[in-house]
Amino acid sequence: MMRLRSWQMLAAHGVLIVLSVLFTMPFAWLLSTSVKVDEKIQAAHTEFIPRAPFIEDAGECLRVRPLMVKEGKQEVQIYRGSRLTEETRLVDPDAVRDRIYLDVANYTEAFQWFPFHRYLFNTLVICAIAVTGTILSCSLVAYGLACVPWRGREVLFWIMLSTMMLPGQVTMIPLFLTFKWLGWINTILPLTVPTFLGSAFFTFLLRQFYRSIPTDLLEAARLDGCGELGIWARIMMPLSRPALAVVGLFTFIGSWNDFLGPLIYLMDEDKYTLSIGLAMFQGQYGSDWGQMMAMATLMTLPIILLFFFTQKTFIQGVKLSGIKG
Amino acid sequence: MNGRPHSHRWPVGVAFCLPLLVGLCVLTIFPVGASFYFSLTDYPIFDPPHWRGLGNYAELLRDPRFYLSIWNTFYFAIFAVPLGMVVGLMLAMLLNLKVRGMAFYRTMFFLPSIVPLIATCVLWNQILNPQFGLLNEFLRFIGLPEAWIPGWLVDERWSKPGLVLMSLWGCGGGMVLYLAALQDVPQELHDSAAIDGATAWHRFRHITLPMISPILLFTLVMGMIGTMQYFAQAYVMTAGGPWDSTLFYALNLFNTAFTEYRLGYASAMAWIMFAIILSVTLAMMKLSNRFVYYHS
Repeated sequence: MMRLRSWQMLAAHGVLIVLSVLFTMPFAWLLSTSVKVDEKIQAAHTEFIPRAPFIEDAGECLRVRPLMVKEGKQEVQIYRGSRLTEETRLVDPDAVRDRIYLDVANYTEAFQWFPFHRYLFNTLVICAIAVTGTILSCSLVAYGLACVPWRGREVLFWIMLSTMMLPGQVTMIPLFLTFKWLGWINTILPLTVPTFLGSAFFTFLLRQFYRSIPTDLLEAARLDGCGELGIWARIMMPLSRPALAVVGLFTFIGSWNDFLGPLIYLMDEDKYTLSIGLAMFQGQYGSDWGQMMAMATLMTLPIILLFFFTQKTFIQGVKLSGIKG
Repeated sequence: MNGRPHSHRWPVGVAFCLPLLVGLCVLTIFPVGASFYFSLTDYPIFDPPHWRGLGNYAELLRDPRFYLSIWNTFYFAIFAVPLGMVVGLMLAMLLNLKVRGMAFYRTMFFLPSIVPLIATCVLWNQILNPQFGLLNEFLRFIGLPEAWIPGWLVDERWSKPGLVLMSLWGCGGGMVLYLAALQDVPQELHDSAAIDGATAWHRFRHITLPMISPILLFTLVMGMIGTMQYFAQAYVMTAGGPWDSTLFYALNLFNTAFTEYRLGYASAMAWIMFAIILSVTLAMMKLSNRFVYYHS
């Protein structure tokens, strides 16, 4: 790119700022709705900074809920702490003022219907097994395809690649029937056991990585009498840590987000993952916007945090997944 | 390679590849065969499959919902994929101007693409709400007359555009790819072209675009394959409605299999999906030979 003149730079910043605001708006809406009081959620004008109505009473600020207007006076119901009391008062309409107020009631109320900790635990169990399974199986297979010379490995590699073209919908029904026959429906087995059988894409990534490691290193280890399994465990695994991090991270996120799998295989509510739990919650309580946003926030937050802690690996992974073409 | 014949090593190689070999058999080859067989049968889940020959495929060709779901899917793909690419590329090019704070902007544009899918659905269900949603509030704010305010997911004319908008919010994933490709375009090419008097547009058209065409093709193909399988958003947000306007192919397939329990019919749909994906991909690869430039 040519060096930009200062007014051009300014224009670029202007466009970027406008676009960033546009892209950030849904997040702002998500967060602010999740901490808004009910009467403000579907207000005519969205306030991104959550506010709630208050009255002044003997030097004390009381949060209120506006009821009806009677004879020019506003009837309000008083909150004590976060609890709505029976107490009502008639006040001057001007006395009711909005103040900035973050309400956690959406979270606490949603927890009564939405067993977040249960779903989180279920999701984390599946994620942990899937990450372990994928890293183990893909690195073993990648080693077999990249570091052990044997006839047929190229053929196997191309067969593996060609399976990536196959949409999951083709195998979905027979796999469902197979797992049903095994008695695995309504368990996490269909969501975890297959991860121990390799994933074409991640195996491909690791194979490319292993091929970039000099073969001299392997030969030296072999001459020293190290077995193949030893080379895999003591040389390749430590050397491929950055690639394994990408595989682990993306497997984790894939399992965290997976919807179709749990939808097909999990029946009991207490076995639900966050994805399926939130979707079902939306079906039942979708009209309660505050609670929906609260739970969506809680589901999103860990992934955003994960992104900030693993930014390099994350971006690297996105690029790698694009470069495979 | 190392003096020892390959054949001595094959037990070791096969042993390492055992997970893949088992996986291929159990998770791919067997299910693919079974699926093809089911597609030729009538298979209501609780009774054994019963031979129907090409009956399912013949029925599909007469099924208006099948055509409707193909139409909905193509409508969505034709807008969502190219628009996502254009917006992603524009963002990437803006970021590639090397303005200060690039890392910050990049994060802002990238974050939406990693929000968990179902959380995105829940969020956008409210953003697209015709009365109280953020989007319509914005449209009213900029002064659009009430008659022009779309009903989004409750209006069959606007439900697909609404989902397209939602998908555009996640175009940051593509942006990261384009940005990486743009940064690989050699600066000398731009500099020497500029000295020869090439305008910014010409440099974009004849240097940038050819240099990043492989990644554009890749995202185009992956995007097309992805939209053929577009499912969760429609399942969670619209359940195919209103008036089947968001009955996408994969949703129709899922419903046929898991709510109507017509496993044979659904298998036939899966095979047609595979055929469509394969032919669209091959067609794009073929066409791309003329447009895509591989410099390595």
